[in-house]
Amino acid sequence: MNIAKYPFAILSAALFTVMLITPISSISNLIWLASADMPVGFITWIEVILFDFQRLGIALYAVVIIGFGIAFSVAGLISKYSSYSGKYLFAVAGAVAIGMALFLMVELLFQTQLLGGNRSIIGKILHCVAGFLGGYFFYSLVSVQRSYTFIIRFLGILYAYLVLGSALGWIFTPISAAADFGFVLNELSQAAQNALLRDFTSFFVATFLFMVLGVITLNPIWFFSVAIIYIGAAIFNLIAIYVHGTSYNQIFIFEFILGGWPAILGLTIILNNDRTKNKFL
Amino acid sequence: MKTKVILSILFFSSTVLSDYKYETILDNLDDAWSIVFLSEDKVLYTEMPGKLKIATLSDKSITNINNVPSVQYGGQGGLSEVVLDPEFKSNNMIYFSYSAKDANGKSTLFLSSAELKENSLINSKIIFEAKAPRRSPVHLAAKIAFLDDGTILLASGDGFDHREQAQTLDNHFGKIIRINKDGSIPLDNPFLDTKNALPEIYSYGHRNMQGLVVTSSGDVYEHEHGPRGGDEMNLVEPALNYGWPAITYGIDYSGAIISPFTEKNGMEQPLLHWTPSIAPSDMIYYEGDIYPELKDTFLVTALVSKDVKKVTFIDKNNIQESLFSELNSRLRNIQSSPSGVIYLLTDGPKGKLIKVLPKE
Repeated sequence: MNIAKYPFAILSAALFTVMLITPISSISNLIWLASADMPVGFITWIEVILFDFQRLGIALYAVVIIGFGIAFSVAGLISKYSSYSGKYLFAVAGAVAIGMALFLMVELLFQTQLLGGNRSIIGKILHCVAGFLGGYFFYSLVSVQRSYTFIIRFLGILYAYLVLGSALGWIFTPISAAADFGFVLNELSQAAQNALLRDFTSFFVATFLFMVLGVITLNPIWFFSVAIIYIGAAIFNLIAIYVHGTSYNQIFIFEFILGGWPAILGLTIILNNDRTKNKFL
Repeated sequence: MKTKVILSILFFSSTVLSDYKYETILDNLDDAWSIVFLSEDKVLYTEMPGKLKIATLSDKSITNINNVPSVQYGGQGGLSEVVLDPEFKSNNMIYFSYSAKDANGKSTLFLSSAELKENSLINSKIIFEAKAPRRSPVHLAAKIAFLDDGTILLASGDGFDHREQAQTLDNHFGKIIRINKDGSIPLDNPFLDTKNALPEIYSYGHRNMQGLVVTSSGDVYEHEHGPRGGDEMNLVEPALNYGWPAITYGIDYSGAIISPFTEKNGMEQPLLHWTPSIAPSDMIYYEGDIYPELKDTFLVTALVSKDVKKVTFIDKNNIQESLFSELNSRLRNIQSSPSGVIYLLTDGPKGKLIKVLPKE
């Protein structure tokens, strides 16, 4: 566990950091839209922040992981071979990692500023502050002994984060969400549209919430609930294809993955609980 | 019934339109961007690194034009559009757009005029410099067209990092500019009397316009790249706001929302939008007779969908059809020769000029 905690701490700190970074672009964008007399209301704020939180966050995740991987390795070496160590060393490393990553994205890759929130000085400072907090969070994760539940929780949060995108899509942009599933929503009857909207939205929101509850309580029942839903979707997808003659699709592969992932988390908790119990028998 | 009729028309026309033959006239063109016909056998064309050349199509000979101003090549910048003066036969004047550094070392869009004489440019003059400085030459637009009254329209892109400025009139980001041939400002420009507005502005709220056409009836059409989705085609009228980035059908390349709004009073809706993006790169309104099925339609080249979209408007609806997709090439430019033959320019450092002919 001691060795495994470092990569998972980087993955966790990176996820935490992108969750801090994305609202910077969202809010700067919303402020501009409001200043341009666009009707930016409460629902708009929620929609934009949540969407960016998920979509922009996923796009940035790999960049932050690489940045943190390099920065925290260097910080680790510095703390080993010098008198500098502790949480602020890693926090500064996190800030430098984000600052450099965003700088190099512009200078080496795109020649333009892809992150709207990073175009102003304040935005740049806020991004570095997010990196600082990410580094601080990393240190807090690695500085104490961790049990396997740390990894369970990380994988659960990551899962919920991925499912959140589909949930938001069905809530705010159902036409696009439907197109991702291969059908044109507006071509369906009103009754069919209603059925699909309520069922799909409920499906993704429920599995998102189940996973969040699993992460909080570490009760395997929540993980199995999610697993049953997605494995069921995969099985009934295959029945629809081969028994009812609907068109072939490969979504069942993802459904098996999305079902297997929480099932493994739930089983891991049960097995570890049994092991702990046996230890004291 | 109406749907069936439209589908029948589409099916019939697609069957007919699949019959074209292609002939590569020129190849190894170095980032060629724009072509214009001097005669049925001679084209003047630009290469982004800063070359202006004349090609004779019958013997495929190429002549370099001298005295071309130096340009800033890189990103999406370089020597871009070239057009002939409507009175070219009598005055030999040409107009060309390009990116170069301004006095402060920032990249921006320039429009120059010059006389084309004995394979050289003489009396070259900068007639417009966009007040749109940016760190690198991206989203310049750079398309040029002449209105019937002899004034010039120039598309000036939003500079990518400066998209919000497309909504304000004190700069040239995301604007269509209208000037006279000598660079002076027409007295009937729409924002001449607007406080803090630059007087060259004709319309605003644009992104990266890559197609600009004035039809024989005098209507101005443009298309522009959206971000991820939201490529648009618009009917351009003076003083109107086309909405970017306050309203858009696209999202940012990063996945972020640029605007959750797609419409607002005071902002124009596009005639059509392409979502997902096709990356429209050029456009003509075909009025020749070589391909009767294409007459009086818009032909839009595309980089991503690697085809030409034939676009017809019926009332407020549009009918689109994909042409020339068998070339499987990113298409940069389309022109019709004086006799009406269509030529396509492919994109990239080894571009080709391809002649399209009906098989029959």
